[in-house]
Amino acid sequence: MSEAVVKATKVETRSLWARFLPRDERVILVLIIAAIFAILVLPPLVFLVKGALTITQGGETRIGLDRFITVLSLKGIWTSAFNSFVFALGSALLALIIGGVNAWLVERTDTPFKPLAYLTTIISLGTPYVLYTSAWLLLLSRSGPINSWYRELTGETGVLINVYGLGGMILIEGLLWSPLVFLLLGSTLRNFNPDLEEAARMSGAGTWETLRRITFRLSLPSVLALAMLVFIRTVEAFEVPALVGLPGRVHVLTTDIYEMMHRTMPPDVGSASTLSTLLLCVVAVLLWYYGRLTRNAERFATITGKNFRPNKIPLGKFRFLGGAVLVLNFLCLLILPMLILVWASLLPFYQTVRASAFKLLSFKHYFRIFESDRYLSLLGNTLLVAVVTATIVMVITAIAAWLSVRKLPGARMVDQLGTVPLVFPGIVLGVGVMQFFLSMPIGVYGTIWIIVWAFLINYLPYGIRYSYAGMLQVHRELEEAAAVSGASPFLAFRRIVFPLLAPSLVAGWLFIFLLATRVLTLPVLLSGPSSQTMAVAMFDLWSNGQGPELAALGLLWSFAMTAVALIFYFFARRSGVGLYGQG
Amino acid sequence: MALRVFHRRSLLIAATLAAFAQPALALDQALIDAAKKEGQVTWYTTQIIDQFARPAAQAFEKKYGIKVNYVRANSNEVALRVLNEARAGKMQVDVFDGTGATAALKSEKIPAKWIPEAAKRLPANYIDPEGYWVATNLYVLTPGYNTEMIKKGTQPKTFQDLLDPKYKGKIAWNSTASSSAGPGFVGVVLNSMGEEKGMAYLRELAKQNPSGLAVAARQVLDQVIAGEYAIALNIFNNHAVISAAKGAPVDWVPMNPALAVLSVISVTKDAPHPNAGRLLLEFLLSEDGQKIYRDADYLPVDPNVPPNDLSLRPDGEKFKAIYKTPEEIDKEMPRWAEIFKSLFR
Repeated sequence: MSEAVVKATKVETRSLWARFLPRDERVILVLIIAAIFAILVLPPLVFLVKGALTITQGGETRIGLDRFITVLSLKGIWTSAFNSFVFALGSALLALIIGGVNAWLVERTDTPFKPLAYLTTIISLGTPYVLYTSAWLLLLSRSGPINSWYRELTGETGVLINVYGLGGMILIEGLLWSPLVFLLLGSTLRNFNPDLEEAARMSGAGTWETLRRITFRLSLPSVLALAMLVFIRTVEAFEVPALVGLPGRVHVLTTDIYEMMHRTMPPDVGSASTLSTLLLCVVAVLLWYYGRLTRNAERFATITGKNFRPNKIPLGKFRFLGGAVLVLNFLCLLILPMLILVWASLLPFYQTVRASAFKLLSFKHYFRIFESDRYLSLLGNTLLVAVVTATIVMVITAIAAWLSVRKLPGARMVDQLGTVPLVFPGIVLGVGVMQFFLSMPIGVYGTIWIIVWAFLINYLPYGIRYSYAGMLQVHRELEEAAAVSGASPFLAFRRIVFPLLAPSLVAGWLFIFLLATRVLTLPVLLSGPSSQTMAVAMFDLWSNGQGPELAALGLLWSFAMTAVALIFYFFARRSGVGLYGQG
Repeated sequence: MALRVFHRRSLLIAATLAAFAQPALALDQALIDAAKKEGQVTWYTTQIIDQFARPAAQAFEKKYGIKVNYVRANSNEVALRVLNEARAGKMQVDVFDGTGATAALKSEKIPAKWIPEAAKRLPANYIDPEGYWVATNLYVLTPGYNTEMIKKGTQPKTFQDLLDPKYKGKIAWNSTASSSAGPGFVGVVLNSMGEEKGMAYLRELAKQNPSGLAVAARQVLDQVIAGEYAIALNIFNNHAVISAAKGAPVDWVPMNPALAVLSVISVTKDAPHPNAGRLLLEFLLSEDGQKIYRDADYLPVDPNVPPNDLSLRPDGEKFKAIYKTPEEIDKEMPRWAEIFKSLFR
């Protein structure tokens, strides 16, 4: 008996020791992570604001708001702001409608052809945006097949669709985002408690009424949060506004920043910084609101966790209509863009789809790519950047999430600091990082490491979301058990938490890897002679007028990345974290 | 096509034979040895990769065994990169070329004051009097048009013809502040018509709603070839010839006057591979180097290497051009760009 008491006291003291002393050790870790985040996140912010506020007049330098007044009274700046708003709102709505309808059909009905929806999504995850955008431009442009066939059929000289305008921008950007909406809404709908819907049906509500009053209402918070996310990302978008908007004289804020950097020599960095700072403020407000929306959304998510399958609604005679929607989506999002790229990749110079061009087809662009050793070094650079970035981000954020979920003092704040980069549009971050390294005496500018640095900042928030969502699933009991057995918290993290987190970390790693291999804006601004990446090469090919070679290179690249995306999809499903770390 | 390839081959063979027959300009062996020791050279270029930069780099690598790292961008971007590297104190670039922004870098003392031996046989107007740059080739900027959308013979031939309402919405140009873009066109109009008439003309042209594309002039022309637009303004006339030779439905218009600009090249003062950089310039300006420009359908500066298509070069009679040095372009460009922005944005 007394022996048992002694044993119990011993356990008590040891667990007390385990609870208090190691916490102090872990606080050091909090400080280290805080320092890393601060070094990454703060300099570009500081440099932007400093660039916006510093005014040099006649050799004198002072701080002032003059630039803000100048920029805000620029001709057309409010039109650009308005265009940004309409563009973002329209794209978010379109992406929600397309992605939402597909998600509902796949997750909640007995529609046929469901695998097509997943196939579309996975391949779109592996395709660079610049390639997708040019493919849709080829399809929808004045000389594209749709407009030229329209002219041939009707004898008209005009166009059926004028893609160069706000409408075209919204259409293409909306299509770009719809796979993401499909994935995110799909997981919401999958984890739905069917009891509420059944109760509604018991009370005499029909399918439509249940859908409207129960299903839609319940998913409203996540739908709103998602709309907000797409809205923010579209405000920050650059590729579509540059390639689709500018030819039709539609300016948005990001293209204005780009033009400020490119219209004059030397570039007007002061005005660009000022407009960037303003854009940053707008996005920060939106993100704060997004944060509130998702916080509330989690309250609605309390019905997850039970192991159930929501019932599938039989569509009856409309079943094939549902199937037709999925097939149409598959055709529009995947087959048509891929076909036009294949067509373009076989031509010596681009021509629209017509009989007279068939005799020109050849595989020479593919041969040229395989012969050139330049692409091999680009491939090496791209993989190096993506692997290093993804690895560092996931390791740091795994530790940060661990500290945060275990509620160490200050750890939550550190987490918040790590999500700050969400406010940076790519082009703004690029300018900030460039200025930071130009003013530093260390030789990072123009090397591959400046791209890695910018990517680390850019993808930190994604890493945090994955790690955090994965960490929530690991209960502290396990670490306590380790502590009782005499393990230090670090050993417990390394041997227990880290392996348990692995599936989420791998999913996050692959997601960041895929983003890093296809994102354009940062490498275009920051790459030097020996640090170019595949996306930069694609942009060069586009602006060089080597569209056909771009199509060939892009297709090969997409095939390789689709393989990675498949692995990613497999891990994300297994980790139970969901594809975008949304938990 | 086959005939053309054969023709090129025979030219190459002839060139090789000529090289054997007479010793090339005596190049300082010490420079070659030092360059080979450096082993590589970094070149920021505005030359289109597949048309010129890649073949030129391959020829240089083959001749000297020195690797060429080339990065392509437009003149402003090239200058910006060079400027940034100089300010960051870490020069990576050895050689850079462009049509305008070189002059801006001169004031920062970034290019080396050095003229290659090979250039000394060129006419004086191809060499910077201050000694910072030398021209490698001439660009002539004219309109280009799609021959399927506008039948040959009915194409616009004068500035006034461009105002025809049937071209409304069918004209495109590059919108950056460069000579091969809308602002360059503004410059030609103002220089040839004078301020008042020029501005009146530009206001009329604005009613045609030309599309300003954020892409290089080469890409503007490609969109015309694809049928997106019927007319491209201020494109490089040799690009139209290169594409037409591949069968593309495109031709260019000898506008009176056209804008003629020099593509100039410099070695940086703090080049990491100064000897390889100098050797690259010696190579590009040698007769062999100039023949690469010719074979790529560019306009060489060497009077002994006439272009393949003589009509590309303004003869001064039926096809005139306004010539601008990089310094002049640098000086006038801000104003042209401002007018462009106010009228065509």
